[in-house]
Amino acid sequence: MAQPIVQTIHRDPALFWWILLPITVVMVLTGILRHYAMTLLQSAPKKQALPQIRQQRSLVRGMNLRANANVLTPSSFQARKAYMVSAYQEGKFLADPEGRGKPRPNPMSDPAAMEGIMGMMKGNMAMMVPQTLIMGWINAFFSGFVIMKLPFPLTPQFKSMLQSGVGTRDLDVRWVSSLSWYFLTLFGLQPVYNFILGSNNSANQVTQQMGQMNPGAGLMGPEQDPDKLFLNEAENLEVMEHRWILEGVEDRLLAKFSS
Amino acid sequence: MNEERELAISPIVHSSVQHNSQVVSNIRNLTASLFGVAAGTLGLESYPGFLFYLVGTLIVSSLIFAFRTDGKPTEYFHQPLGDLWGGDVFSGLSGFVLTWTLFYGLVRA
Repeated sequence: MAQPIVQTIHRDPALFWWILLPITVVMVLTGILRHYAMTLLQSAPKKQALPQIRQQRSLVRGMNLRANANVLTPSSFQARKAYMVSAYQEGKFLADPEGRGKPRPNPMSDPAAMEGIMGMMKGNMAMMVPQTLIMGWINAFFSGFVIMKLPFPLTPQFKSMLQSGVGTRDLDVRWVSSLSWYFLTLFGLQPVYNFILGSNNSANQVTQQMGQMNPGAGLMGPEQDPDKLFLNEAENLEVMEHRWILEGVEDRLLAKFSS
Repeated sequence: MNEERELAISPIVHSSVQHNSQVVSNIRNLTASLFGVAAGTLGLESYPGFLFYLVGTLIVSSLIFAFRTDGKPTEYFHQPLGDLWGGDVFSGLSGFVLTWTLFYGLVRA
């Protein structure tokens, strides 16, 4: 068996200056633009009325009490627990105490919920539009060139995607056109964005999805009944096992210094 | 129960954990891109290239282990095996492939 002939293609060095470099620069700049567009598009949180804020914060207060209970002495924890549980069960913190037990309104008719959906749509748009634009731009400008050889072999299934516009049937899959360089930059530029924009940027899809999960968003959505959440939290507080952290601290200290 | 008590006595601070893993991922990203440059310039192809990346990250891991954590990774990471030795190996791979392809294309092909 003869060694398969290694295909070589002699390419103009100008391909680097006129295709590779422009695509890379455009990708980096789009990432930066997307980051700043996302920062600008983020609508400021809407001002809420005092009872609503009290309703949210008192629920958070119960959770914090549960999370940090072990730094409290048993007596002070009991006092707090008794107060919070009774207040939760009476519905003291509810925004509209008369509305207890009534069914919730349809979330689609609630303007606050619509705002959240709009924010998500905006994020998706800011991601989708540049990608489609750039892919179209690359297809329109740079199709039909073989620009580089990948250093690793691929299966022939990739041929139609990576060699689109190159009309040679028997060319090795490793020779790829400009569209594949676009895909490589799409996935590989995240570290570059990290170094340019700091770690919390929204330049790429992955980090952008992380940013949408801002803490406390699902805590008290408009579709949930606050009264039920309060009763739930009261129950959690009731069944919680409290252990004081300073219990037996003398023994621990002595053990630490004697060893 | 015992472990829970240990956690309460010496709690794990979330922001510190985040900062530590951020430092590790920054080092990984930078070194992965540099390994890509090296692999492309050396003209490595397919398996030797990926092997080069794995060996390189292993060396970087041991350097982090020796210099950044002073040989005591348990003080910096909750799970040293996953966070230090294995953390972000695959997220660095995309940066590696990018620079590897670029420099391979520029130097060799």
